[in-house]
Amino acid sequence: MELHNVLDFPILSLSIFLPTLGALFIWLFVKGDEAVRWASLAVSVATFLVTLPLWIYFETGTSHMQFEEFHRWIPAFNINYQLGVDGISMPFILLTSLLTVICIISAWRCITERVKEYMLAFLVLETTLIGVFCALDAVLFYFFWEAMLIPMYLIIGVWGGKNRVYATIKFFLYTLAGSVLMLVALLAMYFKAGHTFSILAFMDYPFDFTWQFWIWIAFFIAFAVKVPMWPVHTWLPDAHTEAPTAGSVILAGILLKMGAYGFLRFSLPMLPDASQYFVPFVVVLSLIAVVYISLVAMMQKDMKRLIAYSSIAHMGFVTLGTFMFTQQAVEGALFGMISHGFVAAALFLCVGVLYDRLHTREIADYGGVVNVMPVFAAVMMVFCMANVALPGASAFVAEIMVLIGTFNPSDAAQAHLAVSAKWVAIIAATSVVLSACYTLWMYKRVIFGDLTKDTVKGMPDMNMREFGYFVPLILLVVWLGVYPLPVLDVMHASVAHLIEQATTTKLDAAAALATAAPMQELAVR
Amino acid sequence: MANVTFPFPFPEHLSALLPEILVAVLAMALLIVDLFVPKERKALTGYLSLATILVAGVALMQVADGTSVTAFYGFFTLDPFAVFSKLLILAGTAIAIIMSLDYIRSEENVGEYFVLMLFAMLGMMLLVSANNFVTMYLGIELMALSIYVLVGYQRDTLRSNEAALKYFILGSLSSGMLLYGITFFYGVTSSLDFKQIGEALAAAPSSEHTAVLLGLVFIIAGLAFKVSMAPFHMWTPDAYEGAPTPITAFMSAAPKVAGFVVFVRIVADALPALEHETVMILSGMAVLTMAVGNLAAIAQRNIKRMLAYSTIGHVGFVTLGLIAGSGSGYAGMLVYLAIYLFMGMGAFAVIVLMRREGIQGELLDDFAGLAKVRPGYALAMGLLLFSLAGIPFLGGFWAKYAVFIAAVQAGHVYLVIYALLFSVVGAFYYIRVVKYMYFDEARVPFDFSENRLMQATVALTAMAVVVLGIYPDPLMELCRQAVIGIG
Repeated sequence: MELHNVLDFPILSLSIFLPTLGALFIWLFVKGDEAVRWASLAVSVATFLVTLPLWIYFETGTSHMQFEEFHRWIPAFNINYQLGVDGISMPFILLTSLLTVICIISAWRCITERVKEYMLAFLVLETTLIGVFCALDAVLFYFFWEAMLIPMYLIIGVWGGKNRVYATIKFFLYTLAGSVLMLVALLAMYFKAGHTFSILAFMDYPFDFTWQFWIWIAFFIAFAVKVPMWPVHTWLPDAHTEAPTAGSVILAGILLKMGAYGFLRFSLPMLPDASQYFVPFVVVLSLIAVVYISLVAMMQKDMKRLIAYSSIAHMGFVTLGTFMFTQQAVEGALFGMISHGFVAAALFLCVGVLYDRLHTREIADYGGVVNVMPVFAAVMMVFCMANVALPGASAFVAEIMVLIGTFNPSDAAQAHLAVSAKWVAIIAATSVVLSACYTLWMYKRVIFGDLTKDTVKGMPDMNMREFGYFVPLILLVVWLGVYPLPVLDVMHASVAHLIEQATTTKLDAAAALATAAPMQELAVR
Repeated sequence: MANVTFPFPFPEHLSALLPEILVAVLAMALLIVDLFVPKERKALTGYLSLATILVAGVALMQVADGTSVTAFYGFFTLDPFAVFSKLLILAGTAIAIIMSLDYIRSEENVGEYFVLMLFAMLGMMLLVSANNFVTMYLGIELMALSIYVLVGYQRDTLRSNEAALKYFILGSLSSGMLLYGITFFYGVTSSLDFKQIGEALAAAPSSEHTAVLLGLVFIIAGLAFKVSMAPFHMWTPDAYEGAPTPITAFMSAAPKVAGFVVFVRIVADALPALEHETVMILSGMAVLTMAVGNLAAIAQRNIKRMLAYSTIGHVGFVTLGLIAGSGSGYAGMLVYLAIYLFMGMGAFAVIVLMRREGIQGELLDDFAGLAKVRPGYALAMGLLLFSLAGIPFLGGFWAKYAVFIAAVQAGHVYLVIYALLFSVVGAFYYIRVVKYMYFDEARVPFDFSENRLMQATVALTAMAVVVLGIYPDPLMELCRQAVIGIG
């Protein structure tokens, strides 16, 4: 094991495997539901504490990978256990470890059946999620990326709503089908780039345009399904609606980010020319997500479905920013992902609070909730406003940065767009209005109005446990909205490096390589 | 050859065959011993068979020293490739015998059952050492004849009889085709030795091309039948469904190893001159096999039938390694077959363990609610199924990885994309079983076999797929070493 980090300690490995080791311990030695809950909470909190030094000891001035670990894993194929984080991936690890704690607290009372299995599934899921963001070897990345399907399949299928079997099988097959092409692309790149799976080596290797073109498409299918982008988004509303509350929180908070992270870690730096070539394509799909999906969200009768569609629309903003190749836009996209991780997670938790009381997610079944649950109404108000991107909330920072970045795109992005990117920014800006429409309208119908329904009259307000897990989320949303600098600082150097990679063509180097040393091409039969 | 010293004069040739000779002698002795074993203690024969396999394994390790040796004037070869596949065959047979100990208790004439399995194993051991069409044919027939009888072992069951008859008729037909193909090659090259045929074919005049092609087609058809490659897979679902479940497990693993190993030897040694034609035919069959196996499995309600089609699907994936050829392709096939041996047989072992109201659990519905009643079994079965689906952190992922990377290296990118899409189709019917186990409520009370050895087998196979999934390197290295010198 080689370590290259300031702590001289395999902190990333510990972050990845602590949840699974804890899960093993709980599986073997902890008996009784209440004990399992406390033990799982302890494991998740410990994991969160282990990930904190990543933030504290992170060097902001550099785009280099930090806290690196290297160990040979499968020498026959030069697959290595290579870990490291930069300013792009590090915030997601903290996001994951924090949201897992919140998920486990939120499930305290509402999961009463098979508590142990539920907690184990969440802890194993945490391992795979943190693994995805740490991996610097493409096969290791794929390993965690796919392994994530097993716990998620069980979480939705065992503890989900009444249509859960359909939703979970759809989720499983959709994402599996999306990612298999990525595997083919990785295998082809392995031979092309000289028998290596190192992500950093892939970033440096000059692929010619034909290669970039096809690999980009293979990656795009994998990442677009995960984001999800229109028109491959249909698994998400089903999965979100049927998943238990904490499942929705993890889906919206982390899983969707994996797709966009894939664009930032793979497509942009490895395939800059293809990424530029496909800018119009991604922009059009993103705008469809922003405008059309927002309209779809407005018409939803089910609260979870509405938030699911709202997530797709917000992720449209993220993909738009990603493919503008400017510092503001990409940082805005990254910041948007983190902000959305808190806001969407909190909104799902709000729905979960309501669902625990009335066991329905239909908007029409509520109304006048403010009369019986004033504290809850205030909390939900904060997150609805954040979802609308009101100034002072974290989402505002993200949206304004993406819009500014889109208004002033890089030359590389503008060169491939038929119209001025200003028009793109103007269309994207309609989202500000549309998200206000669907969010506030939902809030009005659920919270305000007369207290006419007897069922609603009997709803108790939030208890301390429920209030407890909203507090950190409120603080974070407001803190990031008012003072986003610490997070932006972390991203700054890495994003700058990424922009440089994404706007520097690899074609010259590829041509030079082809003339200097004609490599034996893979003859595609 | 390793310096095995014997207290009596022992011909040099025979020492390479020591494991086979031991199995043959001990199996025949067992046949006599069995006469004196009382009816209610027939499991003893089973334990003695296990001991025989152990003896054969020890003998194999004694005579194997990493070199390649031929004996009997080139009729028999013992190289690392043969040794590794023999170990797989021994392991597969041992697991199948353990599964049978409890299952077969209710039947009569149990003794022969175990001896027949030993003879089938002997046939396979011979088969993987064949570098000559005569040895190959001997091995195939010894294996097949024993398995025909085993499939029809439940004499009072119509299903079992039908399966055996179908398998026997189609099997004989395919043996005929194989022999017919061999005659063409013999006619053109006047040889039965794989390597000599390969050299002769490379030098054969083009006027012989039609005869050679005919021979090639017949030989591939005959071998394809043995490994159930579409369109010669028809017997598989019926035979798998009708056979006693331990025999189904046995058939899904060990004979496939033997069949593919001899397939590799023929393709690598005898057919390099016909590489283009071989790859073309095999590609077509692989495409068909993956589609038939994975699509038809979706429609099955009987889990044994479903796993039969799933085996066909996996055969399609393994064929990719054969198409890719070269060291990495053949090593990939070995990785695949080794991992499949564990996950396939483990899944069948769970089926054997499950009984509902005295009947073996065979319908998918029978798995409903398993996770609540027996979380341990459900977890093991779940791991095995996710592994069969090829999801990472389980061995099945690396099995697919090993053949796919070889196929990409050989330039068959489209085939790999096709295979991966069908592996997604395959994932559907595997996770559907997980759905029954974990998402549904139990309808009928369970009644489990509590055989300790069986439970240990299930636990060990499940653990094997996890361990191989997390650290596959030793197996991959072993397989890479085993194929050095092949092709």
